[in-house]
Amino acid sequence: METAGSADAAATEAPAGPVWHFLIKPRWLGWHLLMVVSFWGMGWLGDWQFHRALAGNGLSWAYTFEWPLFAVFAVVFWAKTIRDEFRIRRGEMPDPRAVAAEAENLPAGVAGAIQARSVQAASVQAGAGSPAEGEDEELSAYNAYLARLNAEVEQHGRWHGLR
Amino acid sequence: MRAAVLRYRVMAYVTGVVLMVLCFVGIPLQVAHHPAVANDVGVVHGILYIIYLVCAWILARGLRLAVKPTIIMLLAGTVPIMTFIVERWVTRRFINPVLTGQAQPTAPAVR
Repeated sequence: METAGSADAAATEAPAGPVWHFLIKPRWLGWHLLMVVSFWGMGWLGDWQFHRALAGNGLSWAYTFEWPLFAVFAVVFWAKTIRDEFRIRRGEMPDPRAVAAEAENLPAGVAGAIQARSVQAASVQAGAGSPAEGEDEELSAYNAYLARLNAEVEQHGRWHGLR
Repeated sequence: MRAAVLRYRVMAYVTGVVLMVLCFVGIPLQVAHHPAVANDVGVVHGILYIIYLVCAWILARGLRLAVKPTIIMLLAGTVPIMTFIVERWVTRRFINPVLTGQAQPTAPAVR
């Protein structure tokens, strides 16, 4: 993901050829293959349940309709993902990977402090009444607290092996 | 956004609990030749999972998640206990940054 992500980022910065070329990159060919295999697999499972239902297994009727529904959902998921990718590459939408990386690098409190500071600076420049010193300290203390909480929670997350 | 988060959370917990009943009560009973629980709970989980799928999908689109976290979120409803773990992970990693990101800029203005 990391290496492919950076390769993608490089591709977005300097696009070589038409936008749709990303669709034939190995990573995307993998997604297409996964898509075809899962669609075929779910269709097969639906067909299997249908035959079981016909053979007298009443329970199978539920699954006979469920599996094709999942297969259709997979196609919708795939189509929407490709449409989003086109939008990202045309600059009509922010890249979720870049946003996620930003959120990871900056704990929420720190990002909030930076944002608050820039908002404050803007309001000072506009002369729209700057907040008192005491309030600023309170805000930074609160943001530091948020950052510490965030760091603790992330540390905790490692126990689940999800990061 | 908050409504989508709430819907996702409710469905994650309901689907997770029903799946745990299916796996830790239904399957052992089925092995012991009492398949009624597994059959009924299995169908219920199937229907709940479809609703979970839709709720998780709407939230994933709202958060503009990348492909991999979206797939992890969607498939969590089929693995016992996983919905709880993934719900916490999604909350910490994606929901909280977005919600605090929305809340932060307005905070200085309110003061």
